[in-house]
Amino acid sequence: MEKLDRLGWADGLNVVAYGVRIGVRTNRPEVLERVAALLPPGSRPAAGPVSDRIVSVLVGGPDPGRNVRRFHLLYSDALMLARTHDLEEALGRLADHLQLYVAEAAPRRVFVHAGVVGWRGRAIVLPGVSYSGKSTLVAALVAAGATYYSDEYAVLDGRGRVHPFPRALQSRAHGGTRSIDPEALGGAGTDPLPVRLVAALRYSPRARWRPRRLTAGAGVLEMLAHAVPARGRPREVLATLRRVASVAPVITGGRAEAAEAAQRLLATLDGAEGVTR
Amino acid sequence: MTRKVTWAPPRRARRSDLVVEEVGGETLVYDLERHRAHCLSATAAWVWRHCDGKSTAAELARRLSRKTGREVGEDVVGVALHRLARARLLDGAAPAAEGRTLASRRELLRKAALIGGLSVLSIAAPSAGQAATCITRAACEALVNGNPTCAGQPCCDVAGKFCRSQGCGQTCCCHV
Repeated sequence: MEKLDRLGWADGLNVVAYGVRIGVRTNRPEVLERVAALLPPGSRPAAGPVSDRIVSVLVGGPDPGRNVRRFHLLYSDALMLARTHDLEEALGRLADHLQLYVAEAAPRRVFVHAGVVGWRGRAIVLPGVSYSGKSTLVAALVAAGATYYSDEYAVLDGRGRVHPFPRALQSRAHGGTRSIDPEALGGAGTDPLPVRLVAALRYSPRARWRPRRLTAGAGVLEMLAHAVPARGRPREVLATLRRVASVAPVITGGRAEAAEAAQRLLATLDGAEGVTR
Repeated sequence: MTRKVTWAPPRRARRSDLVVEEVGGETLVYDLERHRAHCLSATAAWVWRHCDGKSTAAELARRLSRKTGREVGEDVVGVALHRLARARLLDGAAPAAEGRTLASRRELLRKAALIGGLSVLSIAAPSAGQAATCITRAACEALVNGNPTCAGQPCCDVAGKFCRSQGCGQTCCCHV
């Protein structure tokens, strides 16, 4: 780390996101503006210079004097994370790393890989693996009138409430990914909401809407399977998820069209539609 | 139809390196050693709690019968013990087979259902990377091998593979 500290760092920033303090430094001040756009949502300037983690972006590129191309290097504390000639790639890895680090290390918060929307003062949490259709369903729920909270993480507190993680919604279509700013979705929610429905649904074009309600214990396991700090802080994670499952039904099953599933979910939350056990 | 079951001698419930929570009558157990989480039905949890290293399956069955007010056979408790042992929630080695016979599966399930089921659901807790969103193969291969960042994120474009360090060269790679 000392060797790294001796390199010529031109600029840096200190932020705090969900209670995690992050320092980012670089040898090229012009890159810092791009770094700022990649910070986890909810990041704000930190008061002091102390950081839980320092990420260093050493921008390489052509070295005219020696006729060589230097690698762009990315370090997390003293560990080299990425070494590439593609700056975009390095910055992409920086964004991934910061997001995952915050999700793992945030004190008093349990990050579950899930989409989240708010509806009449209550939250629907949609846990699932990548490509299970979370973002599409979140977009459909927002189109049906729900408030956007996240398409990536449900940030749960010790009282079982969910906080916003309003990163840009990633809409995958035709082999590409399109980022949709939360403002274009009518703005993201700002206040924590009590979770009142957890729906672990998987997209299948021929699925019929027949969700099954899990027992509270099985519901906890369903959420735990997507909890980022599950291994690091199991006691806290289990207690938090137990609190959620004791007040919110956890349903699972397949879903076809997102628009139909969104209507069904909102009806379920409003108590207009039942779910089989 | 009958089948042989693995029968259980008196066993003691494991207590160390476990986090235990209760929810809705079920018991959640997190195994800190193996990073596995289990959900025990009320009856399975009762059997687990009463494994004192002395009580046999027959004795546990008698006590469970008194508690539930229904006749509970030794075979039902034996199945619960077997499931608990398989989840590594009992001390000692796995139970040895004694070759006793058991009523049909349907009959057993019916008996178990009458006392609230004997389910022991188990999952492996994900690492932080495994619970995260997927990354592309190119992104995975831009990561330098040997650091915690290539710790099992799912690879988006290679189904069933994860971004790992083992079996790769200087960079991480998508691996089974």
